Amino acid sequence: MRLIVNGNAYDLAVAGHEMLLGVLRGRLALTGTKLVCGRGECGACTVLLDGKPAYACLTLAAGCEGTAITTIEGMSASAPAPDQLHALQQAFIAHDALQCGFCTPGQIMAAAALLAENPHPTEEDVRHGMSGNLCRCGAYPKIVRAVLDAARRLADARGA
Amino acid sequence: MAPRKHAAKPPVPAPPADAPRATRFVATKVEIEGREETKIVELPDRNPEPWDAGTPLHVVGQRIPRMDAVEKVTGTARYTVDVHRPGMLFAAVVRAAVAAGRVAGLDASAALAMPGVRGVLTLDDVRGIRADGGQLLDDTIHYAGQPVCAVCADTFGLANAAAAAVKLTVETAPHAVTAEQALADGAPKVRARGNESPRSPRVIQRGDVEAGLRGAEITITREYRTPVALHSALEPHGAVAEWEGGRLTVWESTQGIFNTRRDLAAAFKLRLNQVRVMKDYMGGGFGAKNGAAAASYIAAALARQVGRPVRCVWDREGEQTDAGHRSATVQQVTLGARRDGTLTAIAVEATIPLGIGGWEAGPGRIYHELHACPNVRTSEKFVYTNEGAMASFRAPGHTEGAFGLESALNALARELHLDPLELRRRNYARRDQVRDRPYSAKRLDECYRQGAARFGWTEREARRATTSATRIRRGFGMAACTWGAGGGPPAYATVRLDRDGSAEVLTGAQDLGTGSRTVMAQIAAEVLGARVDDVRTVLGDTERLPFASNSWGSITTASVGPAVRAAAEEARDRLFEAAAAMLDAGVNELTARDGVIGVRGSERTITFADVCGRLGDVMIMGHGSRGPNPDGTAISAFGAHFAEVEVDVETGRVRVVRIVAAHDSGRIVNPTLAESQLEGGVLQGLGYALFEERVMDARLGLPMNPTLHDYKIPTMADVPVIEGFFLDEADVVANHTGAKGLAEPPIIPVAPAIAAAVADAIGAEMAEIPMTPWRVLATFSTAAGRQPSS
Repeated sequence: MRLIVNGNAYDLAVAGHEMLLGVLRGRLALTGTKLVCGRGECGACTVLLDGKPAYACLTLAAGCEGTAITTIEGMSASAPAPDQLHALQQAFIAHDALQCGFCTPGQIMAAAALLAENPHPTEEDVRHGMSGNLCRCGAYPKIVRAVLDAARRLADARGA
Repeated sequence: MAPRKHAAKPPVPAPPADAPRATRFVATKVEIEGREETKIVELPDRNPEPWDAGTPLHVVGQRIPRMDAVEKVTGTARYTVDVHRPGMLFAAVVRAAVAAGRVAGLDASAALAMPGVRGVLTLDDVRGIRADGGQLLDDTIHYAGQPVCAVCADTFGLANAAAAAVKLTVETAPHAVTAEQALADGAPKVRARGNESPRSPRVIQRGDVEAGLRGAEITITREYRTPVALHSALEPHGAVAEWEGGRLTVWESTQGIFNTRRDLAAAFKLRLNQVRVMKDYMGGGFGAKNGAAAASYIAAALARQVGRPVRCVWDREGEQTDAGHRSATVQQVTLGARRDGTLTAIAVEATIPLGIGGWEAGPGRIYHELHACPNVRTSEKFVYTNEGAMASFRAPGHTEGAFGLESALNALARELHLDPLELRRRNYARRDQVRDRPYSAKRLDECYRQGAARFGWTEREARRATTSATRIRRGFGMAACTWGAGGGPPAYATVRLDRDGSAEVLTGAQDLGTGSRTVMAQIAAEVLGARVDDVRTVLGDTERLPFASNSWGSITTASVGPAVRAAAEEARDRLFEAAAAMLDAGVNELTARDGVIGVRGSERTITFADVCGRLGDVMIMGHGSRGPNPDGTAISAFGAHFAEVEVDVETGRVRVVRIVAAHDSGRIVNPTLAESQLEGGVLQGLGYALFEERVMDARLGLPMNPTLHDYKIPTMADVPVIEGFFLDEADVVANHTGAKGLAEPPIIPVAPAIAAAVADAIGAEMAEIPMTPWRVLATFSTAAGRQPSS
């Protein structure tokens, strides 16, 4: 089958039971997407499927044929040059919205999905929209600020 | 990892202050995780003058963005679980499903026959290797979740299938998973030598508690209970191991690469220079990753057996059952005081189940430290139980103890109709009472003053009146903390400049997400006069880097920072020597800023890149080490938290509205990163106060909630307004950077501050955490008919 990940096509033989997370991490070496709970409880493996958020740990890879898959590695035009980063990535750095960084890829993907659906979120929208993404270091207050800031920057860019 | 007793080693005596220096090596005291240890220290060649309040600093103290943030936001940061070696196999473990018993049969033949399964590890392969104080893969079962066998295979999925195909026959035995069970008459023996630790009961006292109680005008007695809490680091314990000839290389998610190396070398009977431990990025530790974990012994043993690299990583259930925990406590507290609130006695009886191993992290010590009281006695009973071993967890002991001590103090304030803040001011400890010595610096009084002002502590009644809904009760509470956060030696660093003028800081410390990389680069840039962007910090490799200790006990900045400063001074002096000739000036006339060296009173300048470029492959390098701590001085961090809550008295739900957290941790090297850690500590404390509780079925001996769905850590929806700040005043006695530790103190006062606010709201004291809705409702119902206290 063919998987389209971050715009690149990969032809793979995928067994029926293989989860997208294992394929991304183990076979495509896209290790930015993290395994934490393996059962949809924490959001660390969040990726975008045709722009909609999904837990890669609960998504069968075989079902993703013809789907545009976006991972954290696909968020920046050319990582890791800072000027090529997505507005969310820049905002996470500017607000120090991370500590150990392990949940960060999932947080950014969830935030991207949230902003795609709701470009002008309130603080409450962010808190509830992203409450499924766990962070044990407790970067939450700064994540909220970073997402709101990125939303403003993206809105300004669209208006310009 | 179990703590080491350090008393056995005779310390090298320190020479008298006026004697000529006879030896480079002297003894000094270092406080780690509430335990004071004697360390040998090499007196550094350089002992810079402390950076005091008047020292102009340009990089230290600035809000420099976290230096590894780009890697983290792009997914390119490599964690241990991301390490992939050529030919690497994946391990999975078979775990016991009962709390006590014996492995009567273990048949792995079906597993080994599966295509792609490469190896099986059982007790006979690892006899003598101990993890968490017990035999690895023991055939005696000490707790549910104990590994008894491991397999490795070509893929992780295959390894799990093979583990499931291992036929395990178990004879169960009676268990004791609670302190009550373990201390009952005829209790099953959790450990052969008895169910209490050899150091139990630990009784620590000063003064005469009975006399203090006789002299009291008011006495209160309370019992407080705290739960088992799980670290729940998002990156689980794990390692990748690879053998080359007789040398072992291990990538491990650890807070201590050198401790991990020591453990692995001992287990596999290797010289230290035959073991290399690396850790680049790590997804949280919080105290549970202080040495080689069972996963790394398993990875290394399997890798040796099959001759290929092996990755062994706990799955989530393993992480939540077999990776350490904060022990539960029961604390019976009696306070004696005069009518004016002056404490006359503190007496505490505590019981702490440790699990199958670990160390004696007790709640007692903070009772001796935090408030002035001449007569204090704590008695702590440490009990072995059929649970996984406890592990240090962010301010171990103090966090549990603060819930009891500060809750009791708040209860006393209510009984005396005294403002709880005023009660603390009346019992302010000006000296370290444990060893009767001065503090290097103590600004807890300022934390009280500034925290109360920010919070609006004196206006809380007016604010309470704004609550309109009848089922919502508003309450306010506060609590304080202290924590030994002075750090200490040994710690070494090297600073070197490359020919383009860029610099590297090399030190064998770890960055757990705390920001150590950034902080060390800032200190080096400050001294060199470099642009911070031109400095890179390299951490986490035992083979390539000089020693620094575990990143635990909030010690890294105060321990390694001074070594980095000394190393950078030596490098700067060399650089200036070279530059002086090029600028035709004296070395003492030179200054540097932003990578440019200038001559005082002149326009002449030269860049670092020019100096280093002209030197070619000459490497400008400096080495530094951490000097001893001052004798006869206590070095501690302090803080005070103020909490506002709303309690729905129909559902029992507590909403924390805001927390003001004022902290004194000496100089703050990077306020942004410090605030991030402060907020993180507050949120972990909030989870401990309201949600987090490992539930054990005492009858079955099994943990009931080993998932992130059932063990509740805070989410983004639970976050209150957090106003956290540091006084940011250099402690020039502590060390020459003026910085003290700040990672652990913020968790300590959170639960008692919230509990006090809940009690204030519902008019009844909370004696147990977490304050789940049903506990709040049960407490509220006992107070039914009573009016909320004022």
